[in-house]
Amino acid sequence: MELTLAILITVVGASTPILIAALGELVVERAGVLNLGVEGMMLIGAIAGFVVQFHTGNPYLALLCGAAAGTAASLIFGFLTLSLSANQTATGLALTIFGTGFSALAGSSYSARPVTLMQPLFPADLATHPVLRVIFGYSFPVYFSFVMVVAIWYFLHKTRAGLILRAVGENDQSAHSIGYSVIGVRYLAVMFGGAMAGLAGACFPLLLTPQWAERMTAGRGWIAVALVVFASWKPFRLLGGAYLFGLVMTMELYAKAGGGPLSAVPSELWAALPYLATVVVLVLISIRRDASTNAPACLGKPFLPAN
Amino acid sequence: MPNRLELTGITKQFPGVLANDHVSFSVKPGEIHALLGENGAGKSTLVKMIYGIMQPDAGEIRWNGEPVVVPNPKAARKLGIGMVFQHFSLFEALTVLENIALGMDAKIPSRELESRIREVMQTYGLLLDPHRTVATLSVGERQRIEIVRALLLNPQLLIMDEPTSVLTPQEVEQLFTVLRKLAAEGCSILYISHKLHEIKALCDTATILRGGKLVDTCDPKQETSRSMAEKMIGTGLRDIVKGEGRVLGPPKLVVNRLRTGKTGHFDVPVDNVSFTVRSGEILGIAGVAGNGQNALLDALSGEIIGDDREAITIDGYGIGLMNTTERRKQGLCAVPEERNGHAAVGDFSLADNSVLTARDRLGMVVMGLINSGAAKTYTGKVIADFAVKALGPASTAGSLSGGNLQKYIMGREILQKPSVLVVSQPTWGVDAGAAAAIHQALVDLAAAGSAIVVISQDLDELRALCDTLAVINMGRLSEARPVKDFSIEEIGLLMGGVHGTTEGADAIPA
Amino acid sequence: MQFRLEKRREPSRLMSYITPFAAVLLTMVLGTVIFSLIGYDGLGAVREIFLTPLTNSYKWQDLGIKAAPLIIIGTGLSIAYRANVWNIGAEGQYVIGGLAGTGIALLTYGMTGWWILPLMVLAGILGGMAYAAIPAFLRTRLNVNEILTSLMLTYASVQLIYYLIRAPWKDPMGMGFPQTRLFSEAARLPTIIPGTIVHLGVPIAVIVGIVAWFIMTRSVFGYRMRVVGAAPHAARYGGFSENKTIWLAMLVSGGLAGLAGVLEVAGPFQRMVPGFPTNYGFTAIIVAFLGRLNPLGVIVAGVVLAITFVGGEVAQTTIGLPNAATGIFQAMMLFFLLAGDILIKYRLRRVSPQPSVGAA
Repeated sequence: MELTLAILITVVGASTPILIAALGELVVERAGVLNLGVEGMMLIGAIAGFVVQFHTGNPYLALLCGAAAGTAASLIFGFLTLSLSANQTATGLALTIFGTGFSALAGSSYSARPVTLMQPLFPADLATHPVLRVIFGYSFPVYFSFVMVVAIWYFLHKTRAGLILRAVGENDQSAHSIGYSVIGVRYLAVMFGGAMAGLAGACFPLLLTPQWAERMTAGRGWIAVALVVFASWKPFRLLGGAYLFGLVMTMELYAKAGGGPLSAVPSELWAALPYLATVVVLVLISIRRDASTNAPACLGKPFLPAN
Repeated sequence: MPNRLELTGITKQFPGVLANDHVSFSVKPGEIHALLGENGAGKSTLVKMIYGIMQPDAGEIRWNGEPVVVPNPKAARKLGIGMVFQHFSLFEALTVLENIALGMDAKIPSRELESRIREVMQTYGLLLDPHRTVATLSVGERQRIEIVRALLLNPQLLIMDEPTSVLTPQEVEQLFTVLRKLAAEGCSILYISHKLHEIKALCDTATILRGGKLVDTCDPKQETSRSMAEKMIGTGLRDIVKGEGRVLGPPKLVVNRLRTGKTGHFDVPVDNVSFTVRSGEILGIAGVAGNGQNALLDALSGEIIGDDREAITIDGYGIGLMNTTERRKQGLCAVPEERNGHAAVGDFSLADNSVLTARDRLGMVVMGLINSGAAKTYTGKVIADFAVKALGPASTAGSLSGGNLQKYIMGREILQKPSVLVVSQPTWGVDAGAAAAIHQALVDLAAAGSAIVVISQDLDELRALCDTLAVINMGRLSEARPVKDFSIEEIGLLMGGVHGTTEGADAIPA
Repeated sequence: MQFRLEKRREPSRLMSYITPFAAVLLTMVLGTVIFSLIGYDGLGAVREIFLTPLTNSYKWQDLGIKAAPLIIIGTGLSIAYRANVWNIGAEGQYVIGGLAGTGIALLTYGMTGWWILPLMVLAGILGGMAYAAIPAFLRTRLNVNEILTSLMLTYASVQLIYYLIRAPWKDPMGMGFPQTRLFSEAARLPTIIPGTIVHLGVPIAVIVGIVAWFIMTRSVFGYRMRVVGAAPHAARYGGFSENKTIWLAMLVSGGLAGLAGVLEVAGPFQRMVPGFPTNYGFTAIIVAFLGRLNPLGVIVAGVVLAITFVGGEVAQTTIGLPNAATGIFQAMMLFFLLAGDILIKYRLRRVSPQPSVGAA
């Protein structure tokens, strides 16, 4: 029982950053933009969050700065792909390369210097209760991620702004000819995606490992991109997907810690498992025929007004 | 009463083209006013300025007597200007209701919007289910969404851009009824078209544009189709010269129960299509867009490969299992509807575009290497023989105008002297001079013994060009008969899916 | 004053050649400013990273051996990207190529013979191809996006190195270090200039680039890649199957990445170590773009990126610039290049009251 609870709590922690980053990317892609720079924006958010937490000890400020840093990074992407209609795939890759280098440079003087982890949101009575901690034992980002799943679903399907965003992703030329600002909508979406990725990145030093390590997001940003495909661009499916991956990663942690049946398998296989699982998940989803038909029709295509 | 809309000296310059040159005319309240002109005459540019999509470089727009600037479509709608585009601005994955909501500037609760939509639909007989996804609707139904969307704003001026190019003759009649009703209620209509008989039937006034300039404003009922056509084109019309007393040869292309699978999401496949084209014959395939024309062309060209070798034969030899390259070697060349990106690569030079389809028939490849000299020579010949306006074989395809690119593509295929040529929309978006040249080249190729299939939505073109005609509807093809045996009404019925009582029976098995 | 973009009638060749150089120059200028602003010696950083490797002849051999894998991988990627096949897992294919070569080297340990090295090279190429075949298969059969699969396989390949050198391939005399034993003489890549570290991989890289350029510009294979990338629909009409093209693009780019891997393990490393994945596969993405997806351009771009690697190391020792700065400079080059792409199809026009006045 004790172990089960502990595992469950670890799963939640491991899933949260992926879920937040993937939710951001989902909105970006629904607007018709493919930003492959999630990993880079997460790293930039991670280092920003870490530095702020290190100097101020205020985790909320750290999250906010992580989100702001992610937004700033996304604006580079936005300017290149939206204002200059550069190739989205290449620009996203460039953003990831940039984020990796930038975070490593900014963090070079912070290695092996610990910060404090973010405290649970609820009072200690609830947060450390032997059983109820499964519900109340988490810090702010976990609850935030759940709220965002619902909020993004509501936004996309129940609000006019969400309808416009979907329309822009579905047929940019039509949206333009009706009179919507395709580029404007996409800028907002890209910035939102950047904020979410940055916040997700900041979760790494604040929730998972309380220090800075180069490339500490370890490909989670890419997994988040894959999850959006897996979820067929639907927020609630994203929730399931992110928790599936959280589970896989938690198994890796327990295997590395040693003991139990998990350690019979080479630890490297456990370490490779999230990535291999991503491939498997992508294969499974593509076997289901309807999956790709849910993709926003303009995904990844640069928009140039016909006139 | 002031004019509803009055344009004075409207001028718009694009790089290298003067799209509108001091155009002035006015539209009265309740008037149905035609804007007539060839492709490229400047009609679309002009209405885009009225609707606020573009801004004029010079000139004045007056709305109900007041000078106005229309900075964007939203402002246009606020003034009371509605527009129905030629290429619909619809979102396939969204519902009718969502699509209409997107076109409304004010935020209207969806329940209230729905009841208003139903009211408009009732009034004008434009029936639609608001909750259906657009992807499942026919082209005619899609146009109704656009019209409903425009009518919800109670417009004082409705702009219709080439509204009938995708409709059956019967649907056209229904549309005209709606438009006449609107005009009777005082709404002005600016009706853009190049179809003269429609304008004669519908419009009170016609403004004719040519090369960006206003040629004439006249009463279409006082003019003949020919006189308006001459104003539109500028020179006397050229007729297609067909050799007298041609005799058609033996069957060349025989298609027998050809079918394709459903490939794309919204594609219409072809189902059990059979026809024969004799040597020297031009067969026309009429039909409303989206009824399987693309699948038919792809199945004939080899882009879609079937599972029956004998479904397509040339001179009795089965080619149904071959890919495009092998079919070309067998003498079958094809020209798809979409020029840039399908029939040609916009970023490639014309010489490289010749390699795309002519490399095997004309020996441009030796041991895996491309003989670029041969490609250049051939391209030069195409440019010269078809009077393509291009700097030379090194010009990129994307730098050519639509009509010139089409001439190049047609030339590229015709000069390969294919024994079977299948073309879709050979003169779509092409000016009259180029269209006449293309038609003549097709007639000459047929006269030299080739079998030709022309897929087109332009009935006038097919009736002038073809020896025999068949109609495609929902992937099925009617029986092919000599063109002169068809009446317009009959073609229209077939296009709308109403088949004749007996004569189509063996061509369209149930 | 306002500027407006205006579509060119023809894409500008001049701009497509100029913009990569402009990107490098802009990176140097902006790099100076940025690194000065954040408290480093900006001018010194740019000087050490971009100029010292060129002016200091001791560094030339370093340049050669760093450029070689970048050129080989970059050439393969330039071919794949032309066809719009987004293989971004070259790093993984490089690793598998290196591992395949290592496998042969360990199998033939202690043996001599001219055939060992060619066999290793063959194994490396096949290894890279095999690893690239997975995303190719998934893309062509199941329509799974190759960007994600090839990248995920890269992460997995690194774990495979760790596993192999920790357990089955571990050097028995290695005092517990996770690495394989040093290859026998016959499994090491010879140097071509005595007394230097310049190995056979350097001329191979140049030859690969030139041959690839010839194939891409003159052959039907090259035409196929270009037409599928530029207009897939037209390619199908012209008789080029998209699936076959994806396969070819993945196999060629994977095979070349594998070749780079085996040359690297048999040359500079001479054994498999945990530090074998050196990001060449990712940097080669920048090389391919900076080289305008033209194999001759890739040769030049490979040298430019090698300069930043060598220069980054120099700057680390001389002015204490963290190694990560290299990555930032490289990413900046790619940003500027992508930003400059728009000038190929558009020209910048000044919008002024008199429409006739305008500057390019």
